[in-house]
Amino acid sequence: MKIGVIGWELPPAFSGGLGIHTINLFSIISKFAEVEVYIPKMSMLYPSYPFKVKLVPLTYNGMKGNYELQVPDFNQAVMEYNQKVVDAFDADGTSVIHCHDWITFNAGIELKERYGIPLVVTVHSTEIDRSGNFYPQKWIMDIEREGMRHADHIIAVSDYTRRLVIDTYGISPDKIATIHNGLGKHFYLLPPKNYDLSGNVLYFGRVTMQKGPKFFIEAAKKVADKIHDVRFIVAGTGEQVEELKFLARTLSIERNVIFTGFVGLSEAIRYYRTSDVFVLPAVSEPFGITVLEAMSSGTPAIISTTTGVGEALKNVLKTDFWDTDLIADYIIGTLKFRSLRSTLGAVGQIEAKRFTWEESALETMEVYSSL
Amino acid sequence: MKNVVFYFEVHQPRRLRTYRLNEIGRNHDYFWESKNKEIFQRAADRCYIPTTRLFIKKGIRASFSLSGTFIEQALEYRPEVIEVFKEYFSSGLGELIAETYYHSLASIWDRDEFKEQVREQERVLRDIFKIKPVTFRNTELIYSDTISDYVSSLGYRNILAEGTEQLISAHSPNFVYRSPSKLNLFLRNFRLSDDISFRFSNWGWNEYPLTADKYARWIDDSPGDLANLFMDYETFGEHQVAETGIFGFLERLPIELKERNIKMLTVNEAAEMFEKREVISIKELISWADTNRDTSPWLGNDMQKEAFSEMQKLRDNGNRSLWRHLQTSDIVYYMSTGTSPDQIVHEYFNPYKSPYYAFLSYMSILEDFRREYVKNST
Repeated sequence: MKIGVIGWELPPAFSGGLGIHTINLFSIISKFAEVEVYIPKMSMLYPSYPFKVKLVPLTYNGMKGNYELQVPDFNQAVMEYNQKVVDAFDADGTSVIHCHDWITFNAGIELKERYGIPLVVTVHSTEIDRSGNFYPQKWIMDIEREGMRHADHIIAVSDYTRRLVIDTYGISPDKIATIHNGLGKHFYLLPPKNYDLSGNVLYFGRVTMQKGPKFFIEAAKKVADKIHDVRFIVAGTGEQVEELKFLARTLSIERNVIFTGFVGLSEAIRYYRTSDVFVLPAVSEPFGITVLEAMSSGTPAIISTTTGVGEALKNVLKTDFWDTDLIADYIIGTLKFRSLRSTLGAVGQIEAKRFTWEESALETMEVYSSL
Repeated sequence: MKNVVFYFEVHQPRRLRTYRLNEIGRNHDYFWESKNKEIFQRAADRCYIPTTRLFIKKGIRASFSLSGTFIEQALEYRPEVIEVFKEYFSSGLGELIAETYYHSLASIWDRDEFKEQVREQERVLRDIFKIKPVTFRNTELIYSDTISDYVSSLGYRNILAEGTEQLISAHSPNFVYRSPSKLNLFLRNFRLSDDISFRFSNWGWNEYPLTADKYARWIDDSPGDLANLFMDYETFGEHQVAETGIFGFLERLPIELKERNIKMLTVNEAAEMFEKREVISIKELISWADTNRDTSPWLGNDMQKEAFSEMQKLRDNGNRSLWRHLQTSDIVYYMSTGTSPDQIVHEYFNPYKSPYYAFLSYMSILEDFRREYVKNST
């Protein structure tokens, strides 16, 4: 069996979770099937990967900082990439085409029609999620819907996303499977955490509407009114950073809020481990791997009910993303009670480790064989 | 064996509602009235009323403990439940057993507090049922030599405990023993008890379906003086719903027992009838709960320990009754994170669905209570 994977990025470069997902999942699948992963040609790559990587050169593609892809016009690059993947695709012996998100869907549809090879698409996030349900772009949703329609099978990263695909995109539930993501290997090795109070409350993720950092700042204000000496750490980059700095000043908590800028993996682990609680008030988060990372670091997590991974977790505190009173209550609770931190942290640490990429790979293989 | 002793725990906690931080100092109403009422009414309809009527009709002899918090809620939400129990006890079929009024953990932290809560329960049993109990069953069968000492000094004759795996390896549960404090000690036969309370409707069990005939035969075939069948009363109609056929089983059982000359006895009748075996000393706390059969369902994790110790610190307060309602063991049980097989049982009973929300609400309630009722607090 040969799987033709149309991807977008691979570590060490990444903008979101897509590259991490691709490398983790297909390193395992490649032990059982031949895997060819297509990505745009980029400067920052490892010398080799556990599967065959097929680089598709684009007219212009650079790197921002060390790890982030940069193209002058993202949408144009997507269009160019999809066209060039179709041209470069090696259909010989390929039994499944596996596409990841709208940025690869057009190529998948075209290839399926051209060669009659079954198409699997994984929905990591939708335009509804990324826009925070705030002016989603119709033309992107159209591509998503077309990809989902043409797909022989759809993999959603959570039941939350599966429902969205059914309800918003009108896709038949029969061909959608939910397969949760796994946890990176680094996180299995972390020892139990120390639960002495550090006074750090962590937001970690892209600083963008979808992830709800604004609600984090608003909750921070409510916490700061009651407890002094708390540091609210906003770790990550994104288009809302300046807006949130302004908001923190307006709320007079700028001295309590720290914006770290881009954070890599080892630094992220350090932040998880030195924070009393992790907060993800995402407006719409298909999965939320950072929740598992924080938990497996032994750190209690407060997450929104619109965070997909929450559906499979018992040992987290859940709130509506907009309910900053309750988010603040939960933050205060974790800061105030050591026993809550240690119980939620230690039990959560075990729970998070149940999410393995081996399991995800196995379930993905089952989808392939069902075609 | 030619004798069985049925004992049923009848208890409903006054559950606490979700209580938010911003209510501290402003709202002193802690109880989840609507939930408590709903659960009580449902249990009354499914279990308390129909099962007790069936006991009366079929002449089933049994021993019962009715916690104070259960009696309170029965009087408030469904007085008919008290009436049917009165009818049962006045028929002479049953023995009423004592415990702490609040179904609390007082026995494991303070002797005086424990004693006062037992006395309070005795007053209620006297006022309502005109009965002075001689048998004691501590909260969820929590037991140790120390506890049996306390109970003995309060004038009791008999006490119930769990026949844990470890105990029964040396002492068959099918005899009456003595505690070092000279109480008659009854050990629960967990295998035969759980056959009804847990396994009755389990399709995967190789003895499914359990018939009254088969069950009576098992009892008949067992060696020893008596089978101690101790379980939650809600087994009938609530944990095992009517559709499982549990009531048909119960109706048939007295007939099957009678055919084999097996007698149903109350605890005290059995205590008077049988020769007591050896003295059994139990130093560590045991209980009938979870797989560990210890106190870990209530005090297993850090949250439970912190909550329990915070409650104790509020002892000198201006509202003893309310403070004691905050001691009901179910409250800390809802904070258990347990081990996975037990977690399923815990979730079944947990009105908050999460141990963490239970903890946060409780700690806020304690804080409010401290400000409102504890002198010299700031």
